[in-house]
Amino acid sequence: MRILIVDDFSTMRRIVKNLLGDLGFTNTAEAEDGHAALALLNSQPFDFVVTDWNMPVMTGIELLKAIRADARLKTLPVLMVTAEAKREQIIEAAQAGVNGYIIKPFTAQTLQEKLGKIFERLGASA
Amino acid sequence: MNASAGSANERALLAQRLQDALTALESGDEAGWRREIDALAASRTQPMMAGLGRLARELGQALGELPTLPSEAGELTDACARLDHVVEMTEKATHRTLDLAEECRGLTAHLHAGELPADEQAQVLERIRHNLTEIALTQSYQDLTGQIIRRVVGIVRRVHEGFGALGLPPPENESRDGLAGPAVTGLDRHAVSQNDADDLLSDLGL
Repeated sequence: MRILIVDDFSTMRRIVKNLLGDLGFTNTAEAEDGHAALALLNSQPFDFVVTDWNMPVMTGIELLKAIRADARLKTLPVLMVTAEAKREQIIEAAQAGVNGYIIKPFTAQTLQEKLGKIFERLGASA
Repeated sequence: MNASAGSANERALLAQRLQDALTALESGDEAGWRREIDALAASRTQPMMAGLGRLARELGQALGELPTLPSEAGELTDACARLDHVVEMTEKATHRTLDLAEECRGLTAHLHAGELPADEQAQVLERIRHNLTEIALTQSYQDLTGQIIRRVVGIVRRVHEGFGALGLPPPENESRDGLAGPAVTGLDRHAVSQNDADDLLSDLGL
């Protein structure tokens, strides 16, 4: 399981990377915005994306839409981890095809729960 | 002098000026009526000029008071530079804390393996204790960044009040990109909790 972590703050990327490592996901890569993430996704295989929403150059929602619009990437699970907490935004992310939505600040337990739920659903549909 | 007596006084003064200007105009005293009209105009613009002057002075002072400020009086751009510095400081402190925490995790794994002789175990425990102290010390960034943020808040508040005093409303605050950012309790009424988000998503079939 190779996971791409996308956030413009290097500290948050590190925190997410550590939490994922604790959960047994040690194969990760990082990108600082949606644009850099897409470049990586197009050059290397990934199984999962954890992305922030508010980033310069290309936001997380734009990244999500780009992933869903790409024939090769469209089934890639995307977990949004963001400070954006308005109903309209959560709905927008859901309509764009997000697989999970975590509001910052979050706990290790929340991350574990959401990942578990996503994998459970993916397993059921596979 | 109370406010109503003050404004009554001002009204009387204004009436007198207008009267004098009219009398001067009717009697063909051009210099006289011009003088009265100029005095009237000055009485209207003086509070605004004084307000602007005070605002500029306060802004200069506020920025001048800040630590490590270049001696020349700065402007709001300087407040921005300070906030950038806060971002940098918090980032550095967080990385330092994460470095130490990661090292501690590695050390506990070492201890967990249970193959260390007693004296090395003591060394590892001492290293963990030392790292925890360092982590605590690293939190001192909060004091420094807190001070800088408070200063900048003071500047923003004074500028805001200054505009208010001049009767110039600050521009409507429109979100630049439509994103709300982190919700602040008591200020952001439209933010939902993780539980609300979960409910909403499950309603949407997620």
